[in-house]
Amino acid sequence: MNSHRLLPRVLVVLAVSIASGAPIACSNEPVVFSRDILPLLSDRCFNCHGPDEAQRVTDLRLDTESDAKFMHEEYVAIVPGNLEESELWRRVNSTDPDKQMPPKDSHRAAFTELEKSLVRRWIEAGAPWGKHWAFEPPQRPSVPQLADHPIDAFIRQKLESVSLQSSPPAPTHTQLRRLSWDLTGMSKVADGPDPKTNLTADIWSAEVERLLASPQHAERMAMWWLDAARYSDSDGFQADATRENWPWRDWVIDAFHNNMKFDQFTLEQFAGDLLPDATPEQILATCFHRNHMTNGEGGRDPNESRVDYVIDRVNTMGTVWLGLTLGCVQCHHHKFDPITQQDYYSLAAYFNSIDEDGKAGMSAKPYLKYRSPRVAARMVEMQSFVIQCEQAEQLERDLATQRFNNWLKQRTQLPTNYRLWWTLSPEMASSDGTHFTVNAENIVQATGPIPFQDDYRATFTVPEGLERISGWSLEVYPDPQHAHGKYARDGDGNFVLSGVRLQIQTTGSRTQREVEMTSAKADYERDPKHKSELDSRYGPVIMTLNDDARDGWTTAGEEAPSEHRAVFELQRPETVQVGDRVTIMLRHRSTNGHANLGRFRISFCAQRGEPVRTVVGSSPLSEFYEHQRQSDTIQTEIPEALRQRLFEQFLLDDEDYQTALRRSTIVNQQLKQLQQESSPRNIMVLSERAMSRENHVLVRGVWDAPGESVARAVPPAVLDLPAEQVPTRIELARWLVDRRNPLTARVVVNHLWQIMFGRGLVRTPEDFGVQGAFPTHPQLLDWLAVELMDSGWDLRHILKVIATSETYRQSSDASSNAISVDPENLLLARAPRYRLPAWMLRDNALAISGLYNPVIGGPPVKPYQPDGVWAEITMGRFDYQPSLGPEQYRRTVYAFWRRSIAPVFLFDSAQRRVCEVAQRRTNTPLQALTLLNDTTMLEAARVLAERATAEKVEVTDNPQAVWESRLSWLSQQVLSRELEVVELKAVSDVWDSAKMYYATHPEAIALLTQVGQQPASTSPEVAGWMIVASMLLNLDEAMTHE
Amino acid sequence: MNNGRRMLGSERTDANTTPWAVHRRAFLCQAGVNLGGAALSVLLAERGQAAGQGEAIHFPNLPPRAKRVIFLTQSGGPSQLELFDYKPQLYKLAGTELPDSVRQGQRLTGMTKDQKQLILPSIAKFSRHGYSGATIGEWLPHIAKVADELCFVKSMVTDQINHAPAMTKFLTGHQLPGRPSFGCWASYGLGSMNRNLPDYVVLISKMKRGSDQPLYDHYWGSGFLPSRHQGVKLRSSSEPVLYLNDPEGMPRSIRRSMLDGLSQLNQQRFERSQDSEIETRIEQYEMAFRMQTSIPELADLSDEPESTFELYGPDSRRPGSYAANCILARRLAERDVRFIQLFHPDWDHHSRLSSWCVSRCVDTDQASAALIVDLKQRGLLDDTLVIWGGEFGRGVAGQGQWDSPEAGRDHHPRCFTVWLSGGGIRSGMSYGATDDFSYNVAENPVQVRDLHATALHLLGVDHELLSYRFQGLDFRLTGVEPSRVVRDIIA
Repeated sequence: MNSHRLLPRVLVVLAVSIASGAPIACSNEPVVFSRDILPLLSDRCFNCHGPDEAQRVTDLRLDTESDAKFMHEEYVAIVPGNLEESELWRRVNSTDPDKQMPPKDSHRAAFTELEKSLVRRWIEAGAPWGKHWAFEPPQRPSVPQLADHPIDAFIRQKLESVSLQSSPPAPTHTQLRRLSWDLTGMSKVADGPDPKTNLTADIWSAEVERLLASPQHAERMAMWWLDAARYSDSDGFQADATRENWPWRDWVIDAFHNNMKFDQFTLEQFAGDLLPDATPEQILATCFHRNHMTNGEGGRDPNESRVDYVIDRVNTMGTVWLGLTLGCVQCHHHKFDPITQQDYYSLAAYFNSIDEDGKAGMSAKPYLKYRSPRVAARMVEMQSFVIQCEQAEQLERDLATQRFNNWLKQRTQLPTNYRLWWTLSPEMASSDGTHFTVNAENIVQATGPIPFQDDYRATFTVPEGLERISGWSLEVYPDPQHAHGKYARDGDGNFVLSGVRLQIQTTGSRTQREVEMTSAKADYERDPKHKSELDSRYGPVIMTLNDDARDGWTTAGEEAPSEHRAVFELQRPETVQVGDRVTIMLRHRSTNGHANLGRFRISFCAQRGEPVRTVVGSSPLSEFYEHQRQSDTIQTEIPEALRQRLFEQFLLDDEDYQTALRRSTIVNQQLKQLQQESSPRNIMVLSERAMSRENHVLVRGVWDAPGESVARAVPPAVLDLPAEQVPTRIELARWLVDRRNPLTARVVVNHLWQIMFGRGLVRTPEDFGVQGAFPTHPQLLDWLAVELMDSGWDLRHILKVIATSETYRQSSDASSNAISVDPENLLLARAPRYRLPAWMLRDNALAISGLYNPVIGGPPVKPYQPDGVWAEITMGRFDYQPSLGPEQYRRTVYAFWRRSIAPVFLFDSAQRRVCEVAQRRTNTPLQALTLLNDTTMLEAARVLAERATAEKVEVTDNPQAVWESRLSWLSQQVLSRELEVVELKAVSDVWDSAKMYYATHPEAIALLTQVGQQPASTSPEVAGWMIVASMLLNLDEAMTHE
Repeated sequence: MNNGRRMLGSERTDANTTPWAVHRRAFLCQAGVNLGGAALSVLLAERGQAAGQGEAIHFPNLPPRAKRVIFLTQSGGPSQLELFDYKPQLYKLAGTELPDSVRQGQRLTGMTKDQKQLILPSIAKFSRHGYSGATIGEWLPHIAKVADELCFVKSMVTDQINHAPAMTKFLTGHQLPGRPSFGCWASYGLGSMNRNLPDYVVLISKMKRGSDQPLYDHYWGSGFLPSRHQGVKLRSSSEPVLYLNDPEGMPRSIRRSMLDGLSQLNQQRFERSQDSEIETRIEQYEMAFRMQTSIPELADLSDEPESTFELYGPDSRRPGSYAANCILARRLAERDVRFIQLFHPDWDHHSRLSSWCVSRCVDTDQASAALIVDLKQRGLLDDTLVIWGGEFGRGVAGQGQWDSPEAGRDHHPRCFTVWLSGGGIRSGMSYGATDDFSYNVAENPVQVRDLHATALHLLGVDHELLSYRFQGLDFRLTGVEPSRVVRDIIA
C-alpha cells in the first residue's frame, strides 16, 4: 500500500471498494463470505437459484451451503478448493450462450473480472460458508487501541488501512451548529456556550446534554419517527378525509422528551392496548400501527382495504425495526432473504384480528376517545389573539366611519348619467347551432335550429361609464311562440340552465380571465315538491355556479309562466375599461335536454352589496340619490335606516376595513376549530376483536385468494422462538427487542448514525438483507448495537456517544487527496457535508429571525403555502388557509399533513404514504426557488432586517462601522460567524444596489416588506437589509450540515 | 458488490438507491457531482471493464420514433361504450340481464353489486369516420374529423376497479403509490433536451366542481427515483410554477444582483471546502433565474395568433381550461420538453350520461383534435407520441334505473379504449376488439404494462433494460410480469 509504484492499481481497487459501500477484500486480505461472496450470489444467482421455489428453474439452490456443495446429477456447483470441478466457476467463465451464467436473458450483469477473482480466491480457500452478516447476532468487538473513543478507534482503523487520517476539529462555531442541527433541527437553541470559548471535553459534553434535554430535541426525534411511521393528518385515498390522530404525534414527542427507552417505546406502540392496566396514553401509542393510508372510496370492498392495512403494518415493522424488505414476501417467497410467504403471513396474523372493518374517514374504528391536555393553552393564546384582531377590526370600522362621513359630505351634487343596471346589446354565438336575434331593448330571441343541448355565448363590449362589474342579472321571458308558451322552444317549454360562466377579455389580449361568482339568487326556483319527468336535481339557481351539468336552475312547476330574474354576484368586482369584452356563457347541458332558453336579457351592475346580493336588487346608493333629489336641499339628514344600509354598502369597498374584517373572521374560525379540538378526539388505535379472524397465506398477495392456514409466529431466520412463546403483539414487540434478535439494535443505531452523519453505516437503512449494502464499518455497527442494548435501549446515550467522538467533531473541509481516495466519504476522514432537510431550514429560519413560537403539541397548524395549492388538486374540495397569529411560527412537526398534497415547501421530504427511513437529497432549481421565495423565508429575512437596523451600535458617527456592525449581527444570526474581509465585498455590492434602488422607490419598499404578517416598512435600510438577509439565508453554508 | 451499486450509488441523489442501468450522461449528472475527477475516471475505467459486454446502457438504445410524449389523461374512466366501442347488437338486448357467461364473476364496486346487471346500450349515436371508417360516438365530432390520424386500442385491460389504485397503476405500473410515474421514467432514462424547463410537466384542467377524485401528486411523483425527475405542475395562476415569482417590490435587477453576490460567496465557500455540491447549487440558482423568464414566456399565450384560438375552440382563451392546456402542451413540445401530461378530471359518470359524460366531451373534444392537427401542421406529430385515455372503462350494465335518462355506468376494468397518435404509431387503425357486450376483450388484449412497453419502445427504450435498483430489487415501469411491445400498432 505504501509503495508508490503500486498506487495506480491500488487506487482502482480502493476506489471501487469504497464506492461500493462494500469494501471488497484487497488481494492480500482473505475473502469474507458474507461481505464478498453472498451478495454476489444473491444478485446474480438467487433469482433462479434462491429461496423462492416458484422461481427455481432447476433443483439447484445456491442459498444453502448443503445444496451448493451437493452432487446434482452430474455436477457440483461449488467444490471447496477445486476450481476446475466447480460447475459454478465453469459457468461463470463460459462464453457459450447456452451455458454461461447468469444467462443473457436474465438481464443480470455478468461477473466482472474483479468479482471472478473473488469467487476464485474464495473457492480456492475452501469456500467457507456463513450466514448473511445481519442475521448473526452482534457481538461486542474488541476496540482497536488507536484512540480513546471507541468510535474514533474503529474509524481510524479503516483510515489507516488506506493511509488516510482524520481531519482536525471543525471550527468551534461549526461544531456547535452541527451539534445543534443534528440534535434539535435548528442551528442554535438559546443559551449555548459562547462560540469563542475553548470547547473542552466538559463544556462539549454539557452542551450535548443540554441539547438532548431540550424539548426541541424531542421534536427533532419525532420528525424522524413521524416519517418512519407514515404519520399524516389525512386518510390519503379518495376524499382524503381529515383525521384526528395528532395526539399520537404529541405522545411521540413526550416519549422522546422523557427519553423513553426504545424497548418500551416499541412495546407501547405495538401492544399498549394489551398491557395490564393500560393507561390511555399506552393505548394512544398504538396509533403507530393505524397511521397507514385508508381508502374510503365509494364502492370499494372494505375487506380489501382491511387486508391492505394489515399488510402495511407488517411492511412498516419490517422496514423500521428489522431493516427487511418484507413487502416482497406479500406475493412470493423472498428472492434473496430467508423469509418465506408463510413467515410473512404468520407475522401478519398478529395484526389480522384488529377490531377494524376497513372503513375510512370517521368510521375507521377502533377508536380511543382521548382529550389532549395540549389544547387549553393554545385556546388561551388564540383567544387573546382573537381579541387583538377584533379590536383592530373595530378600530378600522371607526376609521371607516370617518371615511364614510367624509364621503357623504362630498356628495354635494347628484352625479350625471347615474345608472344602477347596464343593459347592453350582446353578440351571440352558439356551440350547437342555435341562431339569435337581438331587439332594441337588448332582449335576445333564439331562432332557427333547436339542438338537444347548447352553450350560448353572449359577448358584450364595455361602454363608456361602466368602470367595473360587481354582478349581473339574467331576465328570462316566456313567449307565445315557445313550447307551451313557456321559455324553451321545444320539450315541455321549461328551461334548464345547467351552468353560467363569466369571462373578461381585456382590450389587446387574446386570452380571457375567468371570473368567479359567489352568489346567485332568483325570484323563482322549482318547488322541490314538484314532480315531473325532469330530473329532480334541477331547481336552485345557485347550482348554476358549480358548472356541473347534472344540476342547475329551472322554474318548472310554476302555475303560469311569467318573466323571471336571477342575479349573480362576483367574488370581487372586476375593473373594466371601455372596449373590454365580457362574455357570459349560458350553458344548457341538462340530462333531459330540450330546455334551452328561448328569450332572455342580460344586464350588468357596478355596485356591491344589495343590488347583486338580493333578487329585489335594491340599492342604498340609488335610494340615497333619490332621497337627495326629492329633498329641497342637498345634504339634509337622511333616514337612519338608509344611512346604515349605505354605510354597509360603503364598507364593502373599504379595503382597509375588509382586510381587518377578513383577519378577524379567519382567527375566529381558527378559535372555533381549536374549541372543537379541545373536546375528546377519536384516535385510531389498536384493539383485538373478540373473535380472531382466520389467518391464511394470500396467494400471490391477493386479498381474496386465501391459501394455506397459518398461525401467529415469528420468522425463524431472524430469531427462532416457539410460537407458544410469542402469542400476542406484546411478545412480538419483546421479540423485536430481544437481545438475541440480530437486526433491531443494528437497524436502530444505524438510524441514529444517519441522524448524526447524514447517512447510515449501512447505506440502505431500509434493507439489511442480502441485497442491502454491506456496512462501511461492520465492527463499529456491532459495537454500537451492543452498546445500545447494554444501555437498556437508551437512544440518547448512543447519540451522546457519537457526539463526543472526535470523528463527529472533525472538520468537513476536504483535501484533494481525501476526495480522490474516498470521494463519497465512506470512511469519514472528514465530517460529511450535506444539505439539511427542508423542514430544518424552515424551523431554523423561524428560530434565528426570532419569529419562532416554541409551544409544544396540540392540533396541527398551517404554515404559509402559495394560494390554491390544495384547491387545484382537490378541485376545490379543500382550501388551505394559513394560520394567522402566533400559530404560524410553530415548528414544521406541527404542520398539517395532507397526503394528497403534502406541504409544498418541504422538498425531498418523506411522502408519509408508506414508511420511509432513507434520506433524499437532491439539488434542483425548484428548491432554489422555494428558498428564495417562500413566505416563511422572506418573512424571516424581513424580521432579521428590522432587527439588524435596530441593532445598537456604539460608534455612531461612522456609517461604515455602523454598516459592518449590523452585518456582523446578521451574519452571526444566520451563519454563527463573522464574515471575512473577502466576503464583505460581495455583500456590500448587493447592499449598494439594493439601497440605491429602494432609496428611490418607496412604493417598492412597502410591497417588499409587507410579507407574511409583517406591516409595511418605509425604511430603505430595512428593505436593503432584507435583501442581504435573504441572500445569507440562501447561502450554501446556511443550508448545509458542515 | 454489484455494478449497479458500485457505479451509480450516489450520495447526492437518493442515499441508498441505485439506478441499475442508465445512460452515461445521466450517470454523470447524478453521481459525478460528488466525485473528484480522478476518482471518476478510475470508476469509469472500471465500469468499462466491469460491465464486460461494454458500457452501461445508453438510452435510447433502440431507434427512437418519438422524442417526446403528450399524455392526455382523462381521469375517472371515460365510457368506451359511448365514445368509441360501437356495439349495435346491444340495442336488441336493452334491459335484459347481462349473461353470466359474459360477466364471468367480474367484481363490481359496492355501488352496483347489489343491483341487477341490466344492459344499457350506448345512448350516443355512432357513425363511421375517415378513410379508416373509425366508429366514433356523436359526442366527439371533432375527434371524428381526425380519425385517420389516430390509432384506437379497444382492448385495454386493467385489474383495478377503484380510481386511485387504477390510475396509480395506469401511470406507474403498480396499483400502490410509491413507484415512479411514466414521465419520471422517461426523464430518468432519456434525460433532458433543454436547459430552461423541467423534463416532465403536468397540467391540470381547472374545474369548478369539486371532483370526487383528487389528482394525487404521486400520479406524477418520482417514487424512488431522484426527485428532480418528478413532474412539475404548471399552474394556471399568476404563478405558473410554485415559488416562481419573486416577491413584490423586488425588481429583476435586485434579484440579479443578489444572485451575483450569492454566487460569489458560494464560490468562496467552495474553494475552502472543495465540496462540488456547492458548484451544482450555484448552477441550480442560475437555472432557477432562467426559469423565472422561460416559464412565464411559455405560459403566456399572447404571442399566439387568433387562428390558434379558433382551432382549439373558444374555451382555449380561458387559462386553465383543458383547451388552453392543449395549446400549452404544443408549446412545451416545441420547446422539447420530454414528457407533457394533461389531466382532465371528472369522467366518472355513474349517472346521467347525457349531461355528465357529454360535459367532459364538450370540454375536451375540439382541443384534443386541434392538438393533433396543430402538431401535424407544425411537423411535430412525427416525433411526438400522443396518448389519450383514462384508468379504466365502464360497464355495459346501466347503473340506477337503466332506461331513465338518469342512468349511468359503473367502473369496468376488463376493457377500455385508448387512442394514440404520432410518434411512430400507425394512424387510421383500430387494434384489438371486445366481445358483443364491450365487456371482455375478444382479441389482442393490451395490458397497461404493454401500453407502457410500447410507448417506451417508441421512445427508443427497451422497457426491460430501463430499471432502477431500490431496496435490493431492480424496478421497472413494466414490472415483473411479461409485457409486450404491441408491434401491430407501430408504423
